[in-house]
This record gives sequence, C-alpha cells and structure tokens, in this order.
Amino acid sequence: MVKLFDRVFKGSDEMYALAEKALAEVSERFDDSQAVAYPSTAYFLGVLYAMTGRKNATLGELKESMTWIKSQMTRNKRLHDAFTSGVATACSAEVIEACKYIGNTAPYEAPYLGHVSDAEVRELGVPLVTGDIPGFVVIIGAAPSDEKAVEIIKSYQTKSVFVFLVGDICKQAERAGVKMGFPVRVYPCGDKLPSVCHVVSVAVRSAMIFGNIQAGDYDGIRDYTFKRINAAVNAYEPVDDMTVACGAGAISYGWPVVTNDDNDMWRVPKSLIVQPDTDKFVETAIEARGMKLKITNIDIPVAFSSAFEGEVIRKADMQLEANGARIDCFELVRAKEASEIEDHKIELIGKDFDAFETGGAINIAMIADVTGKRMQSDFEPVFERKFHAWLNCIEGVMHTGQRDMIRIRINKETYENGFRAKHFGEVLYAKLKSEFESVVDKCQITIITDPELVKQGRLEANKIYEKRDARLKSLTDETAKEFYSCLMCQSFSPTHVCIVTPERLGLCGAVSWLDAKATYELDPNGPCRLVEKNDVIDEDKGIWQSINEVVHRDSQGTLDRVSLYSIMEDPMTSCGCFECICGIEPYSNGVVIVNREHIPMTPLGMTFSEMASMTGGGVQTPGFMGHGKHFIASKKFMRADGGIKRIVWMPKALKDQVAEKLNATAKELYDIDNFTDMIGDDTITESPDELLTYLTEKNHPVLELEPLI
Amino acid sequence: MTEKKFTTMEQMESDSKILFDRACDMCIDTWQTRAQDQKNHCKFGEDGVCCRICSMGPCRITPKAPKGICGADAHAIAGRNYLRTVVGGAAAHSDHGREIAHVLYEAARNGSYQIKDEEKCIKVAKEFGIETEGRDIYDIAHDLAYAGLNEYGKPFGTLKFVERATEERQQLWKKLGITPRAVDRECTEAMHMTHMGNTADATTLVRAANRAGLSDGWGGSMMGTEFSDILFGTPHPMETEANLGVLSKDMVNIVVHGHDPAMSEMVVITAEMPEFVNRARELGAKGINVVGICCTANEVAMRHGIPMVGNFLQQENAVLTGAVEVIVADVQCIFPALGPLSKCFHTKFITTSPKARIPDSDFIEFTASSAEESARNIVSIAVENYVNRKKDNLFIPEHKETAVVGYSCEAIIKELDGVTNTQVDLTGTYKPLIECIKSGVLRGAVGVVGCNNPRVRPDYSHIEIMKKMLKNDIIVVVTGCSAQAAAKAGLMSKEAKELCGDGLKRVCDLVGIPPVLHMGSCVDISRILMLITDVAKQWGINTTELPIVGCAPEWMSEKAVSIANYVISTGIDTYLGIEPQVKGSTEIMDLITERSRQDLGAGYIIEMDPEKLGDAMIAGIEAKRDALNI
Repeated sequence: MVKLFDRVFKGSDEMYALAEKALAEVSERFDDSQAVAYPSTAYFLGVLYAMTGRKNATLGELKESMTWIKSQMTRNKRLHDAFTSGVATACSAEVIEACKYIGNTAPYEAPYLGHVSDAEVRELGVPLVTGDIPGFVVIIGAAPSDEKAVEIIKSYQTKSVFVFLVGDICKQAERAGVKMGFPVRVYPCGDKLPSVCHVVSVAVRSAMIFGNIQAGDYDGIRDYTFKRINAAVNAYEPVDDMTVACGAGAISYGWPVVTNDDNDMWRVPKSLIVQPDTDKFVETAIEARGMKLKITNIDIPVAFSSAFEGEVIRKADMQLEANGARIDCFELVRAKEASEIEDHKIELIGKDFDAFETGGAINIAMIADVTGKRMQSDFEPVFERKFHAWLNCIEGVMHTGQRDMIRIRINKETYENGFRAKHFGEVLYAKLKSEFESVVDKCQITIITDPELVKQGRLEANKIYEKRDARLKSLTDETAKEFYSCLMCQSFSPTHVCIVTPERLGLCGAVSWLDAKATYELDPNGPCRLVEKNDVIDEDKGIWQSINEVVHRDSQGTLDRVSLYSIMEDPMTSCGCFECICGIEPYSNGVVIVNREHIPMTPLGMTFSEMASMTGGGVQTPGFMGHGKHFIASKKFMRADGGIKRIVWMPKALKDQVAEKLNATAKELYDIDNFTDMIGDDTITESPDELLTYLTEKNHPVLELEPLI
Repeated sequence: MTEKKFTTMEQMESDSKILFDRACDMCIDTWQTRAQDQKNHCKFGEDGVCCRICSMGPCRITPKAPKGICGADAHAIAGRNYLRTVVGGAAAHSDHGREIAHVLYEAARNGSYQIKDEEKCIKVAKEFGIETEGRDIYDIAHDLAYAGLNEYGKPFGTLKFVERATEERQQLWKKLGITPRAVDRECTEAMHMTHMGNTADATTLVRAANRAGLSDGWGGSMMGTEFSDILFGTPHPMETEANLGVLSKDMVNIVVHGHDPAMSEMVVITAEMPEFVNRARELGAKGINVVGICCTANEVAMRHGIPMVGNFLQQENAVLTGAVEVIVADVQCIFPALGPLSKCFHTKFITTSPKARIPDSDFIEFTASSAEESARNIVSIAVENYVNRKKDNLFIPEHKETAVVGYSCEAIIKELDGVTNTQVDLTGTYKPLIECIKSGVLRGAVGVVGCNNPRVRPDYSHIEIMKKMLKNDIIVVVTGCSAQAAAKAGLMSKEAKELCGDGLKRVCDLVGIPPVLHMGSCVDISRILMLITDVAKQWGINTTELPIVGCAPEWMSEKAVSIANYVISTGIDTYLGIEPQVKGSTEIMDLITERSRQDLGAGYIIEMDPEKLGDAMIAGIEAKRDALNI
C-alpha cells in the first residue's frame, strides 16, 4: 500500500507541475506586468491572499508566489508536511484557475461558474449563522450514474447543505436537468479538479470577511475554518493522488473527506472516511463534520429546505400565481385567546388549486392565529415577516413581498406532486410551532381563496397593518426602555456585537428591535440579550455606559465604547453580512452608501467588496460602517455626524428602494421635498468630481455642513 | 487569543530553591543536601557487583578479584542483585494489590467501603468464573476478592489475568518458562534462587526477573487497579490542578501521600463532612483543602479531582511551605526525612500502615474496619492544628497548572467513540487510535512513567522527553510521578495541544483530549498493559510490532525495575534514562538489552542524555513503522 503522506506529496507535486505549465502557457501571451484578478472580489486571489498576505496582482507576482508554494511542500513524515503540502496544492490549483482569468473575465461557460464573488460569500453570512445553511459540501468526481448524481445533490439540498460540484458530476447534473446556480445552492465550479480552489476561496474569504482574520495569518485562517466553517468533501472513486493532496488541504482546513475509493486509502477518524456505499455519503459527511440540521418534518408532498429559497419560477413553469399587486391577497398573524384556537386546525375557505386553470391567477389569504402565555401582539409582525422565508423554502414555490403586497408562484411540478392549499397551512403551522415554540402554544391556519372573502379580509387586515405602523412609529430609541444586543454572528465573527434599537435594526437587515425582543423572549440566554439603557454619556452620539459595558463584555473585551449614532467616533462594528456599507466621500464631506448587490465602482474609487473589506470581522473602522437598508431612512442614521443630510450617493436601485421613507424623514427633519433627487447614483456618475458638481447643482444640504474629518 | 504560558522548569526550580533556602535557614536537611552528602556513590553498588548475600563477604568484583569467595562471578552477582531488586518492586506493588483485595473482601453495603463500579465487578468476576447471575453484588465482590487473594498463594497453575494477554505473548511466556504462577511464589522463589549457593546462571536470573515482573504487572498491580476501580469507581476524565500552588493560604491543608487509595479516599470523603468543614471555619480557616503527593495523588485526582501538590521529590517542599496541617502517608516512597522536617513546623506527620512505620511520625493505623474512625481522627487533627500555623512564615509558590486526569482504558475508548462515524464504524474499540497511527497522523504512542531522581535534573527529563514526543505527533500516556511532572508543566491541560505537531494537535482537537493522557498511579501501568494488548489484538499484530514504546527517564525505585520487566516481557521496548545497577556484568547488560530483544522481542535502551533518549525513542518508533510499511 502506498503511504498516505506519500500520496499527498506526489499529488501536490503533480498540481504544482500543472500550475507551472499553466503559467508557462500564459507567459507566452502576456508579460509579467499583466494584471491578474478574479472578478468581483476585494481579496485578490483569495486562497493565496489569505494564506500568504500576497496580492498577486500581476503575472510576475503570481510567478513569484510559486517559490512560496514550493517552500510549503516539505517532505518530512509528519502530518504537518502533508497539511502544508495540501494547502500548497490548493494554492497551485488557484494559480491554474487564475491563469484562466488572465485576459478573460469569464473563462467558464455553462454549467460551470468558476469564481464565487464577494457579494455571494457575504450573502452566505446570515444563513450560515442562523444554521439555515448548516454547511457546505464539495462533491468531486463522477457519481456512479446520473441518477445517483441527482440523488446526492437533492439529498443535500433537502438538508439545506450548500453543494459545490467539481469535475464530472457537473455534467451529470446538467444532463439530468438539475437546476444549478448560486441562488439554488448548487454551484458547479468547473470541469477539472483545480476549480476546487474556488470553494477553498469561499471559506478563507469568510475567515477574512467575518472573522477579521488578517490575510497572511496562515494558522489563524486554518483555525477559523476548522472551528467555524462546516464543510465536507465527497470524492467518488477513482481518487487520484492530486485529489488526495487536495483532500489533505481540506482536512488541514478542518473538513472531512468521505470517499468510496478503498485503493491505497487510509482511514483517519473524522477526517478521511472510507464509505463504500455512496448512498450513505450524505449521512456520513454530515456526521463527520457535525453539521447541525434544522429538522422540520412537514407533511407536504414536495421538499422543504432553505436550498430552495432562491428558486425562481418562470411564467412558463407556473401552475398558479397569486399577485397582490393585481388582485386581493394578504398574509396575517393574529394573537388570540387560547379558547379561540384549535391547535393544528388547517381550514381552507374557497376552492382548492385543482379548481383553477393552469397558469391562472388566484386570490389567496393566509391567516395564522396563534396563542401562548408569552405571546405578545408585538410579535405578530415578526412572525408574519417570516412567511416569506418559510414559503420560499417549499420546493417549487416562489414568494416575494409581505402583507397585502405578496406574490406567490407555484410551479407545475409541485402542483402535479400533489401540493395544495392546505400544504401552505402545514408549512406555516410547523414553522411557527418549531421556530417560536416557547411563545406559540397553539396555532391554527386559515387559507382563503374565495375572492369575496379575501377582499373583505384584506380590508380588516389593512386596519391591523395601520395600527401596527402607528405603533412602530411611536417606537423610538427615546421611548424604548431597553435595547437588545444580537450576538448571532459571533459564531462567525467572535467579537462582533450588534446593538439593536427601534430606530436601528441589525446590520444584516434581518433583525429589527421587535425581532430581537421576540428572540430574547424565546430564549433569554439566546443570541439576543436585553441591554439596559442607563447612565447616558452622550445622548446625541448615542453613548450609554451600560451599553459600553455590554459591548465590552460581549466583544470579549476587544471594544470599550460604541456610539450608536456616529460613524466617526467608535462606530458600531460589523460582522460581514451587512446589507449595505456607508463610507466617507471626502470631496463632498458626505457618505456614499452601497448595497451588497451593487457590483460596479462607486465615487469612492472602491467597489462594495473593497469597502466591505475595510471593515467587518468585529472591528471598529471610523468612517466606514455596515448597516441594514432600513437604517438609511432612520432619524438616527449617523445623527451625530449630521444625519441623513450626509448621504450623497447610492446605487439607483437602492435609492429607489428607500426613497419613500427617506424622503419622508428628510421632509420631517429638514422640510426638504424629494430629498433623494439630490442624491447622486450610478446612473448619474461614478466620479467624485462630477458628483460634487451634481450636488452643487441640486443644492444638496451636505454642502453647508461642517467637514466630517 | 492570548497564548497560554506554561510553567517552565526554571520557575519550578526557582520555587524549589526558595523552599530549599528556608530549610537551610532552619538548619534542616532536604534531599538536595543529602544528595550532595551522598555524592560519589559506591562504584561497586552502582555496577551491581557487590555481593552481601552471605557473611563471608561482602565480596566486590574487581579486575584483580573477578570472583566472590564462593566463586560467583560478576554475572551471577549482578544478576542476583538485579533479581532481588525486581522482587522488591514486585512485592511492593503486589502487596498493595493485596491490601485492596482485602478491602474489597471487607466491602459491605453499610460498611466503610462500598462497590462503586458494579459493572466492572461483574465483568472481572466472570473472568474468574464466579457466578454472577441473580446474586447480590456484595456476594459477588466477596467471592471475587477471595479469588483474587488466592492468586497470591495458589499452589498450582498460573495467574488468571495472563489469559488477557495476546495469544502470542502467552505462548512465548510458556516457551520461555516465565508465565507467572502465584504472586507470592514468584517473589519467594526468586529470593530462594538468589540465596547463597543457588542460581548463578545469568540467563536464568534474568528470566526469573521477567517472571517476577510479570507477576506484578499481570498479577498484583492489575488486581490493584481492577479492584480499586470496583471499590472507588473507574476513573473518567476530570479537571484538577497541579503543583505547590494548590496549597491554600487560608484553608486547612491536608496532604495525602503514598499509594493505596483505601486511606486517601476515606480522608477525602471525611474532609468534606460539614462537621469538619464547619469546625475549620470556626477556627478561622475557609475550609479544608485535601491535596495529594505521589501515586496517592493520582488515585484521588482521577476519582475526585483532588489537586496534586507534587511528585516524589516535592514531598519535603510541601512541608516547607509551612502551610500543611497534616501530611498523612500509607506506603511506599515516603521519606523518613519527613519526620524531623515536620517537627520544624506545626505540621503533623501521620503514618497509617504497619508496613511503613517511620520515626517522628504519629501512627494511626488504617484498616478496613477502622477506616472511618481513623479518617475522622486524621481530619480532626488537621483541623485543630490550623490554629498552630505560623501565618507570617508561609511560602506557597504561586505556580500551578490545570490538568485533565483519569483516562482509564474505559474512558479512552469512550473518548474515541466520539470520533467514530456511525455510518461506517463500530464503537467501543481502539480503532480510531489505530487508524490515526496507521495513517501516520500519529507516529505512535509512548508510556512515560516512573519516579523523579536527583541523579539527573529532576522532572526535566520527563518534561523534555514528553515535549519532544508531542512535537513529533507521538501521543503520551503517563502514570505515577511522571504524570505529576507533566501536570506541573501544563502538559495534561487541553491547551497543551499547542505544543504538538499538527497530527497530535488535530487528534486532541477532534477527540477533545490533552496530548498527555493520565492513566493513573504506578500500579495502573497495568492499564497501559491492557491498552497495548487490546490495541494489538484489534490491529491484528503482535505487541512487539506496535509503534509504541515505554520510557522511565528518571526511575529510582525497585518498583520501576519490576515494571520495566513486565513491560519488556509484554513486548514493548523500554527506554531508561537511569542505568540499571548491573553494568559490572556484560552478560546481564546484554541479557536486558540485545538478548532480551531477541528472546522477548523487546528490551531496554539505556541513554542518560534525555535529548538523545528522546531521539532514540522516535527512531525506535519509526523503525517499527517501517517494518509494518506504514
């Protein structure tokens, strides 16, 4: 039997040789000053950058990195050497991949996707910390058949595990018609083994983005991935030496490898597992890495998993559509007395889906009546807002919007599998009971499809929504007796603390003050804790002694002070999964706000990714701050630094999204009409000079303010 | 993340120096002064060629006088001395085991001692062919104790636990005639063999030493371990602290010293009783702090988490702090020096065993029937003595380290179960460990055991060798004073994974163990025998093929020589950092090293330089790996 370490050494030599060959080939076409980069990332060639701190911005620098890679390929008979050789193999693989991107920003064609953007990595932050994505799996090689390929992918999907595919399985999945892409969490990296480096890149960038691990902190990166990135590898036979070497890298990062290849294969507990039965790969890998699955057994005829959250249903595939913009629809949660509710009663009023034509429109109302000793009416909107995420997890169901502005599509396949109206009820019932179990004692669901009844119900619902809005308006930081901290992201960003107030939601956009309050009520020792508001130090800046103490304690002593309303002085930290980031624009003395989805350049001369890489990982970076979209229109948005008047630029899409509320705030605070018209955007300019001209033209109020710095 | 700082040798030595200076100030001697006085040890004694067996002599072998008066040559003399050394050790261990067997015999539901591990009681009883179905556990225990005691003097046959060994070992022992018979018989017969005018054949003497050693490891010690587990519970991992810093400046300090858990267990339990704790508070103390020294410390640490104040050469240091109300000892490794030293302080030195009566101590005999009363008496003396402490004359060094202790074989298997995968593995085996070794993630395993010794820089060899093993991905198991050396240096803390190579570090991370596993007291080397044996059986190879070695870097007692004999006889090479006192005979030297490897598949490797000794161990392990092609 060939020894394990010898296989690793041989495999890493082979990958290194391929990297040299790739470099030699591109060198024939480009000189050493040629720029080298992956698209949409601020982390250069992620793996090499993370492991060495080198940026490798040019072909010449990339060639120099080969010396470092070689230096890692030591050959002592110790796991250390196998580990460093394994990581070196991933680095060699990255060199090979990087060469493909030289002079070609899109070297991969469907189904292959290659490099994963920073925005996508950041998007994974929240679902990873909430456990909605329990982990990643990388499947390498060819499954025994196309059917088996579909089976394993589906199996991971139903468990919400994010699937990366490398090598032949990509084509197998394509042939079998598996829907692939980042949104559905099946990501075919590339046809050859080196494309596996894109998965490694996701993990090591997570360490830098969420964990604030510095590029070049080799052991820090490995420690982070070992402790916090739940990943595993499945490798189908035949597993060659190069794959074994990549496996050594994976194991070094803390991810077990499961294979059915028994030839010259050595078993290492929790690390290298030989599972002859490929049907058991999924269970074996999940157990080996200790991924915690959120199990919700819901009695519906299709799968239910967060993997289906990003699914898009086209018109042609649609069985039915409920569109709140056209006809009456709504969703509502109501707190009731216990005597009014029969637990798990699911009632359909009106016709079921069978009665509608294929591709037809349907009125739909979903009402959840809940009761519980600790239920409060304040939790109603918290639960209600979850409908969106839950219903989206149904395979073949797409859901957008909330309240009476929802749109739901059900695809034909799901309908044909027997999915009917009551199944919405089953999903809502199961999720309300499981996610809010300590608050919801009993729950019943009513689904209405009768157009007249929905219409009446909508009027009633609107009264409730209005009442809630009034209540939300009255909820201010001043009137609230207490705030909440949210430590949910500490599983990734161990020193980050969000302070959530009525006027400042969590930076991920997913945790409002009411959400935090509900989470706290559910579990007082859980991720959201009560923060008292005592001993004000500076009300304008939003500094309280009691909050400082909480931040000090919960940041493991790394932070002493936080100003809730300033981005200049002790701003709130960021984990990495923020929806938006704002940063100072020095020409105008204002700030630019960019949302995660916006890929192109900004007037700061930095993209979202580049700005985001300045902060995050639980550190304070004055002048930059991550925040939620809804915070933009808040009266507390950088109040101490001049407030929303400072906003000078946003991507158009974001501006449109927040316009209504932002304009209202500007009107209330400064009596300015249509404030957003004064704010620049990407359709106007990306240049700071032109932006300043624009602001002057529009007489933007920022120009009257004191300099920020 | 701040990196953990481990207590260094220099810090420990600096603490010892301050305590030593206190002794000098009081004009009282300690081992340091006495070692100085004893310098230039008798060469004939060191070489094992001084014969004092009859009164024609003493005869000493020199080039000019190569034979004793009876004609015994250097080989016969050194061989006889060697065998008698082994017998001394085997007798001590086995007699310890016998004491425990007696306690087991006396165990009663309402008595001083009860059965804590019924499952193990039944399991071991079955091995002895004792009926267990539907019987009262105390009846089973009674029969088991009786059967165990019978092992000491049974007229025919060989020891029961020998059947636990691998088939290959059993056959080899039979072939070489070293399968141990009754425990007492091996000791008695060896004493007979070495009487004036008996065995003069070197090979026969060394074989008898092997056999006497086996009667200890696979007999007395193994019974000591198993019966202790039955009585006091099979150890499982628990956290404790180690080094002089565990003494409390404002609590009543009781130091339990010696080897046999019967006494220390009772003291620990009694010291927790409210009446004594309250009395201590009445007298101004914050409570009662029981700490251990030597193997007693190991016994109570791994069953109660009692802190370990130190190992063998630290017994005087404990008293020199001025903070000890009572130091109570049973048997073995107890310095007579504690008598006069305790008189310089308020410390009461209490002896409890008729087998270890020491001048200047108070004797409170401990028997199974008087245990509770004696323990109450001892704790009471300690509490009442608190007021006599001179609070302005205390020096308690601050250094201490946390340690996880109590890795019995059962506990190790349980930890290993944690890294199995239910989709492919069975639980309850050493398979995960074997896989780690086969794949090279771990290069092998080492048992580092034995005393500490002023002949070398005490504890240094233990600690440095262990660190070298950790760095080279070799997992370490420890017992006895070696365990306490490791604990004092922080090597038994989970943070010690930072001192390991990537392979061992990963194992520590995944299994959740420290890299140095505490397996107990020196009789508990029988646990290591079982570990080795079961690993070999589950791997499907012989013990001699395992990349596992033993090491006693600073050994000093006769028990250590007995241990070394049963370890090599079980097929494990043993690396010694102190020379056995036989080097006046080339033949004996050959018999315990090279010839032993030929005959038993394992022998001694002797090297006084700890650096080189460690290198030799690694080379030995790698050679075994090469032979297995792993």
